[in-house]
Amino acid sequence: MSLTWLRVAVLLYGIAALAVLPAALYDRPRWRHLAIPATIAALLFHFVALAEMLNAAHHTLPVDSHETQSLLALLLVATFLTVYARYRTLALGIFVLPIAVLLTLVPAFRPGQETILLAHSGWIFLHIVLLLAAYAALFLSLMASLLYFFQERRLKAKQPAFRSLPPLETTDQIALKTLLFGLPCMTAGLLIGSALAEQTIGPSYFLDPKILLAFAMWLAYVGMIFIRRHSGLRGRRAVYLSSFVFLVILAVWAANQFSSVHRFTTP
Amino acid sequence: MSESSNKTASSTQRLVLLGINHNTAPIDVRERLAIPAGRLADATRTLVHQPGIREGLILSTCNRVELLTLQDDAATPDGASPDLPRFLHEYFSLSPASLQPHFYEFHDREAVRHLFRVASSLDSMVVGEPQILGQVKDAYTVAREVGAVSTALESLLQRTFTVAKRIRTETQIGSSSVSIASVAVDLARKIFGTLQGKTVLIVGAGKMSELAARHLIQQGASTILVANRTESRARLMAGQFETPGCHTAVIPFEALYEQADRADIVITSTGSPQKIFTRSHGQQFLHRRRSRPMFFIDIAVPRDVDPSMNQVEGCFVYDIDDLQQVAAANLADRSREAAAAESIVSREVDKYQQRLQSRDAVPAILALQQNAEAIREAELARAAKRLANLTPDQQAAVEALTRSLTAKLLHPQLTALRRNTESNDKD
Repeated sequence: MSLTWLRVAVLLYGIAALAVLPAALYDRPRWRHLAIPATIAALLFHFVALAEMLNAAHHTLPVDSHETQSLLALLLVATFLTVYARYRTLALGIFVLPIAVLLTLVPAFRPGQETILLAHSGWIFLHIVLLLAAYAALFLSLMASLLYFFQERRLKAKQPAFRSLPPLETTDQIALKTLLFGLPCMTAGLLIGSALAEQTIGPSYFLDPKILLAFAMWLAYVGMIFIRRHSGLRGRRAVYLSSFVFLVILAVWAANQFSSVHRFTTP
Repeated sequence: MSESSNKTASSTQRLVLLGINHNTAPIDVRERLAIPAGRLADATRTLVHQPGIREGLILSTCNRVELLTLQDDAATPDGASPDLPRFLHEYFSLSPASLQPHFYEFHDREAVRHLFRVASSLDSMVVGEPQILGQVKDAYTVAREVGAVSTALESLLQRTFTVAKRIRTETQIGSSSVSIASVAVDLARKIFGTLQGKTVLIVGAGKMSELAARHLIQQGASTILVANRTESRARLMAGQFETPGCHTAVIPFEALYEQADRADIVITSTGSPQKIFTRSHGQQFLHRRRSRPMFFIDIAVPRDVDPSMNQVEGCFVYDIDDLQQVAAANLADRSREAAAAESIVSREVDKYQQRLQSRDAVPAILALQQNAEAIREAELARAAKRLANLTPDQQAAVEALTRSLTAKLLHPQLTALRRNTESNDKD
């Protein structure tokens, strides 16, 4: 049954992803009235699918790359809706909703490819959720920086500003606040992961390149926040910096395929 | 300029709209007809006391004076509408010859269309300007207060407000600014979002910069700094902006570069032949502001701000030509949106007509139904003795049968009547 709910969620994400284009790009209220309810409904179905999946697995965690993708999509959309509720801007949905569709498409229609059943552990779940929340926050921050960059170019070129994009200061706040939200998530996620690894694998865990890369990612993340806060970095340079950290995160994600101690497939 | 008419009011009444506006009359004619707000009630009352006028409303703005009236058909058997021009001539004591060439007149369907267009700001001098809807609402309020509006105009005006609101919501007709000052405010909002708490620096004095500053204050700017080579003029100008919600201060011209970074928005309009702000100034300001954006509105000719300052990240420099170009582009946008709005108006006029048409048929339909019911009851009464032996169930069945027969016999007539009403109205 959880797959059915997930498929409904994918369909609704798809509708929202289409509706958000006229709503955000042409400022059409009718489409906004479709995009937001569709996104909320999709999020609810997605959550129900996830809860049922956990229940069906008797509270063990079937964690594979697909499930993780699906959870990442859920967190991305939840963060997007939070930003929408706070700043009333749909522009981020242009990026977030299609990505949510892509991330949930395979788990919904080709599930259970690489599942490992992990033991009962709320800490593992928290580790995953917190790190994915940090990824989602960084992604939204990068998108907000991009929107800032586009709007800034437009205003400097004396071309009519994009009506649907929020003001530069608002976009800048979104970019910074999502980063600030992501930092504690990433820090706590890494600490929990480290404590669990210390118990189960021992110190050798910390010599794995993937794990080292994860700590480098944390340093890059902290460095980025420091630079942004203290130099007021905005526009083009902020996009470069966020893109760099995002690439590091992608590398960390991709390293799951190669790590000997931290991977989705059965060793 | 009389237009072909389709019936809009009931079959014995007609809707007539007579007016002048910025397209048909120069300002010296319009100003003679303009009715001040204080006299509008009296004028409306006088209008509805004219013979043959059932309901009426006067819309008087700086760009138009229009009389919207519901008239008895009997008062104008030849289809002309002579009363309204005479009313204007008499009320304003003006010679008919001076006004007649400037009038336009619309009847029924075209009057509805015109009213929808006016309220939606499609007929305004600056298409999309928002004030006109409020002015129509004011005119309606006055007309209601003096009892000049009842069922027909009430329904029409409520529909008008709905149409105007729909056009505002579904099109972008009023979303972009078309004056220099409001373009500057719009740009500032695109950069800063809310202008609440923002600081504006005015360098030099000039009507345009004063106007732009006033717009910014209206939007929430809380501090106005004024710098001028003549300090007394700066003080005079600062005094004009001093309000409870707005703090003002004078900056000595010599301290301009030390203090300019306090401002989020700088409006310059000095007569200086040299540039006041160069690119390196911009870099210094941004450095001191930790890259928080600054918006320079350069209204001076020759320009006060070096255009290359726009290349500094975080500095946005707009000169008078840039602002005019944005205003022109916005105006073009509005024209495109106006086409979409016109099609909404057309559909709404059709819908309004259909509603009225079905309403016109109602009295005849009711009469037919009442007549048929009377015949049915009379026939049942005649047969009452013969039906007396029937059980209550059988009597109920006969009752139902007669009702059903009457309804089925009436159906073709009622349908034909509705169709006939519609086709008459179209003709």
